[in-house]
Amino acid sequence: MSAAELTPPEAAHWAARAGLPLPAERHAAAAATANHIHAVVAVLRELDFGDTPPAPAYRAGEERHDAAV
Amino acid sequence: MRPYELSLTAAADAIRTGRLSPVELVDSVLDRVERLEPRLNAYATVTAEQARRTAREAADDAAAGRLRGPLHGIPMGLKDLIDVAGVATTASSRVRADHRAQADSTVAARLSASGAVLVGKTHTHEFAYGLTTPQTRNAWDSGRVAGGSSGGSAVAVAAGTAAFALGTDTGGSIRVPAALNGVVGLKPTYGLVPRHGVTSLSWSLDHVGPLTRTVEDQALVLAVLAGHDPRDPASLAVPAQDYRPGAAEDLTGLRVGVPRNYYFEHVDAEVEAVVRRAVDRLEALGARLVEVEIPMTRYIQATQWGLMVPEATAYHERTLRAAPELYQADVRILLEAGELMPAGDYLRAQRSRTLMRREWARMLEDVDVIAAPTVPATAVPSGQETITWPDGTVEAVSDAYVRLSAPANLTGVPSLSVPVGHDTAGLPIGMQLLGRPLGERVLLRVGHAYERTRPAREPAPAARRVH
Repeated sequence: MSAAELTPPEAAHWAARAGLPLPAERHAAAAATANHIHAVVAVLRELDFGDTPPAPAYRAGEERHDAAV
Repeated sequence: MRPYELSLTAAADAIRTGRLSPVELVDSVLDRVERLEPRLNAYATVTAEQARRTAREAADDAAAGRLRGPLHGIPMGLKDLIDVAGVATTASSRVRADHRAQADSTVAARLSASGAVLVGKTHTHEFAYGLTTPQTRNAWDSGRVAGGSSGGSAVAVAAGTAAFALGTDTGGSIRVPAALNGVVGLKPTYGLVPRHGVTSLSWSLDHVGPLTRTVEDQALVLAVLAGHDPRDPASLAVPAQDYRPGAAEDLTGLRVGVPRNYYFEHVDAEVEAVVRRAVDRLEALGARLVEVEIPMTRYIQATQWGLMVPEATAYHERTLRAAPELYQADVRILLEAGELMPAGDYLRAQRSRTLMRREWARMLEDVDVIAAPTVPATAVPSGQETITWPDGTVEAVSDAYVRLSAPANLTGVPSLSVPVGHDTAGLPIGMQLLGRPLGERVLLRVGHAYERTRPAREPAPAARRVH
């Protein structure tokens, strides 16, 4: 287990801080799933975003208006 | 041919010319529902009485020469995330047991105004958060998954218990079950079809679109669904269009991108062979094949999860605290774990999407469409959780099913899944056509041209066995 991974008590702590108290029997599964999700999304840290803005909502066609062929 | 077997286009033509009454058509479909539903379980709710009543009104109108358009009297299923006034939107979840929709969603209102007849609400993987729809059975083999999350919609269309249906698609949820059940599924351009009144999984990735038996049928439904609605903040203001593909089969001059990476990796050999044969057929119709390099593939799953996981958790914030035990185990744990994702991860996914959209727009300058498999494998047996690829890699079934469809959700580009054949077990295989934003007409033209080179599809055999 890497230092970045959450232990079951840590998962319970952070969930409680997010306003979701988890019963004890769910701590291990929540930690395991959160660690799996973290491992998947962590690769995004490799990207150099520079000035790139986020795209919370966007227009799919904004870059081009000549989609018709 | 019995009425329920007709494609939407054929049924509409028969109604328009007075050869078929909406009552005959709806009765035929409801009879089919009664026979097949005990085994398929595609519907969460069947609104038979209301359907017969609406069909009679449609028949009276047709007899008086008042046709509302090509969907007049056509029986449809709506995924049970789509609000219909007075009917429960259960999202196939116990969380929604006492639900009753107060008003029509935009798409339900538009379909109703166009004369379509609601047969019922189709099953979804609970709240669309999954790729199998475990309560529904595949139309071709009842021992296999329906795919999801719009599993009920795809099975109903394949089995003839609806002439068309609507699904929603956040990572592939229209196209995956369409491919696994041998029907046509379209995820339109992000924002083309308004989502007002449709239960969200992930606002920035959700789309609503049709499932039909033919590509031509898609055009008739899309024309009714598309159009601006300010109540959906992503809704695009685009002029109304005629999406019908026309009779021309010639694809001369069209550039079809064939991915040299990603879309044919970890893909079942039979799926690859059938899809490549279909691509060759596009070439035979005059298209020019152009190799393309799919950008940023290492970041597709990370970006999808980085957006979907926290957005889904946010949507369910209240009920996850009030009644967590009502969720199925697979959905509950994802919603809980979503509480633990930092905002920084979500923003990185947002910024990654910006980059990915730019890269895709650049790639799509060189080709008119991209052709690829919709899913890397056909329908797996119910209960199977992983796929082992020949190199020993083990992949979760849900990860595999969503892998090739998610890029269109991230970039917002339209994507059409068309049936292109079967594996040796007789299970359907889908080819995905991806286009430029608002390039639906091109996708439907290509899909239709391909479709015309093939004999008419037979109904799904699991459905055929019952008479």
